[in-house]
Amino acid sequence: MRVPLSWLRDYVDIDLAPEQLAERLTLLGMEVQGIERWGADWRNVVTGELLEVARHPRADRLSLTRVRVGAEVLEIVCGATNIAAGQRVPVALPGAVLPGDRAIERTEKMGVVSNGMLCSGDELRLTADADGILILPPGTPLGVPLADLYGDVVLDVDVKPNRGDALSLVGLAREVAAVTGSAVRFPEIAVGESAGPSVASLLAVVVEDPALCPRFVGRWVGGVTVGPSPDRVQMRLLAAGMRPVSNVVDATNYAMLELGKPTHAFDASAVARDGAGRARIVVRAAGPGERLETLDHVERELSADTLVIADERGPLAIAGVMGGAASEVGATTRDVIVESAVFDPVSIRRTAFRYALRSEASLRFEKGQEARLARIGADRVAQLVAAWAGGTVAPGRVDTAPAEPAPSRVAFRPGRVDRLLGTAFGAAEQATLLARVGIAVEPAAAGQAVPVAADEAPLLVESAADALVAVVPTWRRDLHIEADVAEEIARVRGYDAIPTKAPDTQMPHFRPDPLERRTAIRRALAGAGLDEVLTPALVPEAQAALLGWPAEAADGVPGEDAFAGRPVRVRNPLSERHAVLRGSLIGSLLDVLAFNERHGRDDVAVFEAGKGYAAGADGAAREWWRLSFLLTGAAAPGTWSRPARTWDLEDAKAIAALVARAVRGAPPTFAPHRGGAPLHPGRAARATVPGLLAGLVGEVHPETLAAWDLRASRVLVGELAVGGLGGGQLAPVRVEPTGRHPGTERDLAVVVAEGVAAGDVAATLQAAGGPLVRGITLFDVYRGGPLGAAEKSLAWRIAVRPDDRALDDGEVDALMGRLVEAVASAHGGRLRA
Amino acid sequence: MDLASLTAQLQALRAEALPRIAAAPDLAAIDELDLHYLGRKGGALSVLMRGIGALPVEDRPRVGVVVNEVRQAVEGALGAAREGAGAAALAARLAAETVDVTAPAREIPRGALHPILETIDRIAAIFGQFGFVSYEGPEVETDATNFRMLNIPPDHPARDLWDTLYVDVPGGLLRTHTSPGQIRVMQAERPPIRALLPGRCFRYEATDASHASEFYQVEGLMVDEGTNLADLKGQLVEFAHAMFGEGTATRFRPGYYPFTEPSVAFDIGCLVCGGSGCAACGRTGWMTILGAGMVHPVVLRHGGIDPERYQGFAFGMGVDRIAMLRHGVTDLRVFLDGDLRFLEQFR
Ligand SMILES: [Zn+2]
Repeated sequence: MRVPLSWLRDYVDIDLAPEQLAERLTLLGMEVQGIERWGADWRNVVTGELLEVARHPRADRLSLTRVRVGAEVLEIVCGATNIAAGQRVPVALPGAVLPGDRAIERTEKMGVVSNGMLCSGDELRLTADADGILILPPGTPLGVPLADLYGDVVLDVDVKPNRGDALSLVGLAREVAAVTGSAVRFPEIAVGESAGPSVASLLAVVVEDPALCPRFVGRWVGGVTVGPSPDRVQMRLLAAGMRPVSNVVDATNYAMLELGKPTHAFDASAVARDGAGRARIVVRAAGPGERLETLDHVERELSADTLVIADERGPLAIAGVMGGAASEVGATTRDVIVESAVFDPVSIRRTAFRYALRSEASLRFEKGQEARLARIGADRVAQLVAAWAGGTVAPGRVDTAPAEPAPSRVAFRPGRVDRLLGTAFGAAEQATLLARVGIAVEPAAAGQAVPVAADEAPLLVESAADALVAVVPTWRRDLHIEADVAEEIARVRGYDAIPTKAPDTQMPHFRPDPLERRTAIRRALAGAGLDEVLTPALVPEAQAALLGWPAEAADGVPGEDAFAGRPVRVRNPLSERHAVLRGSLIGSLLDVLAFNERHGRDDVAVFEAGKGYAAGADGAAREWWRLSFLLTGAAAPGTWSRPARTWDLEDAKAIAALVARAVRGAPPTFAPHRGGAPLHPGRAARATVPGLLAGLVGEVHPETLAAWDLRASRVLVGELAVGGLGGGQLAPVRVEPTGRHPGTERDLAVVVAEGVAAGDVAATLQAAGGPLVRGITLFDVYRGGPLGAAEKSLAWRIAVRPDDRALDDGEVDALMGRLVEAVASAHGGRLRA
Repeated sequence: MDLASLTAQLQALRAEALPRIAAAPDLAAIDELDLHYLGRKGGALSVLMRGIGALPVEDRPRVGVVVNEVRQAVEGALGAAREGAGAAALAARLAAETVDVTAPAREIPRGALHPILETIDRIAAIFGQFGFVSYEGPEVETDATNFRMLNIPPDHPARDLWDTLYVDVPGGLLRTHTSPGQIRVMQAERPPIRALLPGRCFRYEATDASHASEFYQVEGLMVDEGTNLADLKGQLVEFAHAMFGEGTATRFRPGYYPFTEPSVAFDIGCLVCGGSGCAACGRTGWMTILGAGMVHPVVLRHGGIDPERYQGFAFGMGVDRIAMLRHGVTDLRVFLDGDLRFLEQFR
């Protein structure tokens, strides 16, 4: 809310500098988000007096004026027609700058030099009048910078949603008063009623559902002359951020800003008359097929739960949200009906959202309105309309619910308040603090219940002997329970008065870190040279089909399976690029590669631990964790002393092995995955560690690379389910004895048929070798002479070590013999001579 | 052969050998001279010693003394020469192996952990010292868990504080904050509770330099019989000092959240201008880094905790903003676009 301080001073005295006031309001919970110097963009604009207004010698439409500005008299050419000698006006001197960085210079106009410019209200952004020069009051001092007279300071206050009462100058004046201790001056509201026919003979109001419109107060102002508001009013509205419209409409806006009470003015001639000749207004839900052209000249079809102000012919306005064009107050309006009503906040909020018409009025209605203000607002608007637009106010009000509720009472225990705040204010100081925001305090009656919680099942506890009752002013709609009273006490005293201390309450029991496994994996991968990325979980709807990642390949790890459901779609996506929750992270990693390629980076090694999502037939969404990575280009860049090393499929497999090792798992086994795109059918594997890890690693299919418009020709990716990635601890390492005796290594080359899988041979070697064999490395693969055409030689380095004794060569020789025999019998291989 | 001539020959051998050994250019030449003079079979000394047998018995010991003297002298010379040649060879080798050490070091590959998660780690480490432990919750929540159980009824004006992305499962939405975790923790644990809830959140918010539709928050929750607003202030001041430095100025002021009462906004002195006012702090000298408050009694009840007996505080902070302040990041879009030029700076 924009608060011009000159206007705020109508309601409360302020001795503080604007910056001090802003800080005090902020510390009270009324956050001042900006301090604007209104008029700071007028430079070199001063007040002057028109000494003479003559016709320009060579142009009929221009005037030649002589203006006294202090001691100096200037000749200025002017095109406006509302000027006359003796008037005081704003003068932009040569070198002046007006709002919008408009510079004023000495110019020649049709042969006459103009030494500056006379300014309209619009040029200064002071009023809405762009045609005439702004005529200042007769007593205005001359030669004074305009900013000294009309400049202002405007605070931008962020009023929180629970404080609709403070969306008003009077409401904020109350907050200032709480800070400074000065008194609030409520505007003097006195309606000069005419002696003519009473409002009851002119206006009838029927509310069909009082739950949706608990109170409707109507006033009638007859014989108005619609025109611009007084300049002073326009200046205030503009400073507060509202565009002046006309004296009648401005009266409603002025009262809304002043009191927080939105009202609406109807042209009475547009409202159908009943049998008694009265304008008859009905507040009701819109009927089927009803339409209304609203003030913004949009023809709207009204839905059935829209609350409307109607006459017998149909809707006149959407209640609390926007008026109708047909009943708009305009230049020809003679009689005005003032509506000052209270509407159901939820109904207004829904309606405003439905028609995308959230206005200053609807914002206030949806926060709830004080019943009392319906009466006060009607009176205030009638008073202002009569003052600014003339006419006479018909005696009396139409009022559908004249009884006004008494203040609510909230019992509280000063001791409990101090316990919540960690303070020792005591009852007397708490009462003093509450008084500063108009909350009276009285002793609680015996047995009066203290409201601890006030939702659908209120929690009321019996009051203690020292309980008090806070008598809440009717405008405060945010104080219902004891804790609300505690906050009021704390904020009025200031949060800096609350002690700052270390908790002395009991520590909870130890609980292990649920992220231990995920952290171990992330650290291992970063240590291996992969950068961690985080990418958006929302992806294009088409991505899943474009990628075709077989999520089920990661199934088989207890508790970590992907959910075989449909994608979860966003109903109101920000863009098509962020429309569904992803099922796989691989598409996002390809996006990361594309981004980096566009920025000239071809060496990319990244990983992400992130979630996949899907929804099932039962309607529930499920989420699971995956570890995904992407490798392409150089693993280590070439330098003068060492050539570059390129990421390859073996690295992708090694990443899977590293992930398993990071969570104390056995090395994975790899089975061919020939599913095709998105992976190369000959260069993809399913990695498995039973019960712990499963997923695909492989080279991305060329078609998939093309679909992502990637430059790289070889890209390795993997996506793994890992037990405990979502939450789990690491088991401690259990060591095996290292033994006192050295081990040995032997090389063993076996010739097998081309179709024999190396992984199978390794498994055979390990099985035949038993615990003596500590490591099996495939260090060479050879094809060619003297081997047969469909043969290959696999050369293994076998590490051998017993736990507890020395090895002799004969024993190792025998072992190697058994290994060769095992390979021969299982795979048809032979020792390479 | 007599004693005198043999002795003279031995002396001559020494006189010849010593300068030749001293002049030997390398180990191979020294080995050759060693063989030439001291070789067992054909060495010059051995050849001369064959003459000893022809001498009278009484002269033999005297010649033996001379032979030993010569042998020792030659051996000594050989030893010294070997030592010198070895040192020279080593020096030559080392000289030959000289490289230009001024070349820039190669990099041992090391990846970076993501600064957002590292910031969460740091937050968790700080609150971990105060006994807070981490929990995680789902990202697809419902209107009930994200709003209603947190005392935000449908159509409440406070809903304006959270622009929400809704999803096509019944009542489903993407959590707008980590606060639903408060309810989950309270339902799962009994007081005393000290919980930290980091995670990804979503808002219907167009992305720019300081807003993102996906972002990270850390929620904190402490509940016990005596947990009060003074405890909240104490913990947050400790946190600010640990995160931003001992001298960091702090400020508490009333805020508004439906799920806390009283509610708190927590500011730190602007890290850019030091409090004098700049564009980064909206000329106020203060930066708001988190919202907090005493857990609303309605929220405690939805967590299954008696609000008459227990009270607690909660806070929620935007990790992205804290990471931006920590690392001097001015556009938060870099966090989610995977730009290695940005990420590699954290290696
Ligand atoms: Zn600053």
